[in-house]
Amino acid sequence: MTEKRLRIALAGNANVGKSVIFNYLTGLHQHIGNWPGKTVEKAEGTLHFKGYTIDIIDLPGIYSLSTYSIEEQISRRYIAVEKPDVVINVVDASVLERNLYFTLQLMELGAPLVLALNQIDIAKRKGIEVDVEKLEKLLGIPVVPTVAIKGIGIFKLLERAVEVAEKRETSKTVVKFGKEVEDKIAKLVKTLEGIHYWYPPRYVAIKLLEGDEEIEKEMEQLNPGVVATAKKISKEIEKLHEHSCSTVITAERYEIAGRIAREVQKLVSPIKPRFEERLHNLTTHKIAGYAIMVFSLLAIFYSIFTVGGYFSDFLNELFYATEPLFYNFLGAGTFGKLAWSMMEGVIAGITIALPYIVPFYIILYFLEDSGYLSRIAFLMDNIMHKIGLHGKAFIPLILGYGCNVPACLGCRIMETERERLLAVFVTTLVPCAARTVIILGLVGKYLGIEYALALYIFDLAIIFILGRLAFKVLPGEPTALIMEMHDYRWPHLKTVLKQTWFRLLEFIKIAFPLIILGSFAIKLIEVSGLLELVASALSPITVTWLGLPLITGITLIFGVLRKELTLIMLATLLGTTNFAEVPGFGPIQMVVFTIVTMFYIPCISTIAALIKEIGWKKAILITIFEVIFAITIGGIAYRILILTFK
Amino acid sequence: MSKRKIPLTALKAGETATVVSIDAVFGRGGGRRWGFEKRLMDMGLTPGTKVTVVKSAPFHGPIEILVRGSRLALGRGVAERILVEVEE
Repeated sequence: MTEKRLRIALAGNANVGKSVIFNYLTGLHQHIGNWPGKTVEKAEGTLHFKGYTIDIIDLPGIYSLSTYSIEEQISRRYIAVEKPDVVINVVDASVLERNLYFTLQLMELGAPLVLALNQIDIAKRKGIEVDVEKLEKLLGIPVVPTVAIKGIGIFKLLERAVEVAEKRETSKTVVKFGKEVEDKIAKLVKTLEGIHYWYPPRYVAIKLLEGDEEIEKEMEQLNPGVVATAKKISKEIEKLHEHSCSTVITAERYEIAGRIAREVQKLVSPIKPRFEERLHNLTTHKIAGYAIMVFSLLAIFYSIFTVGGYFSDFLNELFYATEPLFYNFLGAGTFGKLAWSMMEGVIAGITIALPYIVPFYIILYFLEDSGYLSRIAFLMDNIMHKIGLHGKAFIPLILGYGCNVPACLGCRIMETERERLLAVFVTTLVPCAARTVIILGLVGKYLGIEYALALYIFDLAIIFILGRLAFKVLPGEPTALIMEMHDYRWPHLKTVLKQTWFRLLEFIKIAFPLIILGSFAIKLIEVSGLLELVASALSPITVTWLGLPLITGITLIFGVLRKELTLIMLATLLGTTNFAEVPGFGPIQMVVFTIVTMFYIPCISTIAALIKEIGWKKAILITIFEVIFAITIGGIAYRILILTFK
Repeated sequence: MSKRKIPLTALKAGETATVVSIDAVFGRGGGRRWGFEKRLMDMGLTPGTKVTVVKSAPFHGPIEILVRGSRLALGRGVAERILVEVEE
């Protein structure tokens, strides 16, 4: 018997409980990756039901099927081209109008649909009851009420979805716009006859009238005449309504969504005053809001880095205890050393990244799902704007002070690719705990704490300047905050844990080979006696330009693995921990050395995180930029300091 | 009964107004006008829609509005470009 397969796609607005349903359906059979060639996350999973093997794909949370964001492009293309057997549209029953606006677009796209009317419990608390049968009739598709976080309705949802998938049944109801617009659509559909395109004609007609850039471009290739006609027709509509055609269509679609919502909703008296409401007012209050934010962030920071630090030390000791065993077994010769270096790479990965990434991911998802993240974004938006980012970037940036790796991974909460790129770039400049060790351990210890503080301020200034510059240089739309603040709710713990677990796996897959390879390569240089050679090769930069001792070239190479190694290696190579005694390594050199270490390269784990979030090319570009930048600024600082203090 | 056309940012906390249009023309060749306007429309800020300003964040921060039964935060730069009409 051949295997019976079905494909289900989950689609809907952000924060409607889509990922909770996804996790319910797929359990531990899921895989998180990226869409091919894109940096948008792709979550897939499988499940067995009634003799079927069902592949489930969780499409990104979006509000529309236009081309504003890559997420929207990916979603509509997936639905139109890959043609899943059924699309489950998850909607939030408590914000029905906005959600139905998206449903209507899925219907325009001609997808076989089932509606999951989620969060009916929250809607009830708000005083909204939905007439499910009436909604089914108006839309012409099955509607299943669910409370995903309690698992209510999920089984029935799956049953209905399979029924629809078996027949690939699309809605017979065509939701009509106003007569004028409908006439124009009909006219345009006629001109589309005989053109072979993956989107259905009605959808293409509507999108052309809306001025959709992607579809316009593709139609231009297939039949430029149609695009010209569409432009002419939309001008007519524009004249009639005194608004752009895209505005007219969007407004009409929203009117339809609103009408349906009003028809199926029964308003009963809400439970008042709702706790969510009060919590919202408190956490966005102009004084209390900031106080709560500072307190929560401090608590988060403290807990991540004490818990993480504890586990990091513990694991470090545990693994390094195996070192003698290793040498006993493989010998202390070249082979043993090389093998151990790979082991050291593994240890570095496990002890630096994991203890911080795990609690960070859990807390980040917790903040995001509960709704608090959007409140922090609301409070911090103005300040973040100064470096071209909006409020949401604040969290990864702050956590960058602990470790850049989870901070970079956290930048995925930014909506557009451009914002994500800006956010990760700025994040890699934030002095993490390892860099703090160098700032305090070198400059702080030998020159005084005020100099260390000055370096911190210098770093902040650089972040500000480079952030602004990158913001100016990168093409694209001005950063603007347009964000829904959904009601506070208790996050679904299992979903949070699963999200953490699968993203962790994904990170390990990218990071570990890189870290292991890196530490192997450096060890190879060391055991083959090439270190001196490398140091000499770097001398034009280190000695001539930066005015540092020759030996620092070697330590900077080790710093790529983990930044605190620059200091540790310096002590090892110099044979002393009292750096003040070292000839040719005075206060000026210490400052220059620290500046260079602060900026010169994201450590190898951070590079891996960059690759995961923004792709190879951009990760390499950022890395190269920062190397050049650090060397340039270090050399300039050296010359200024020499002039000032000599 | 007179009507005046003002940016959304000119409303006081608690005031309700009707969206008239979105000024999406940016200076100097103008950025992607279509995307900006479309995105606001997709969030429900179409002409004729009622919006209520709840509050604004301090230091010229974003404003919080209620529109079509949901709560939105809009950066000040965004809100300035939304023109509304108040009935007096």
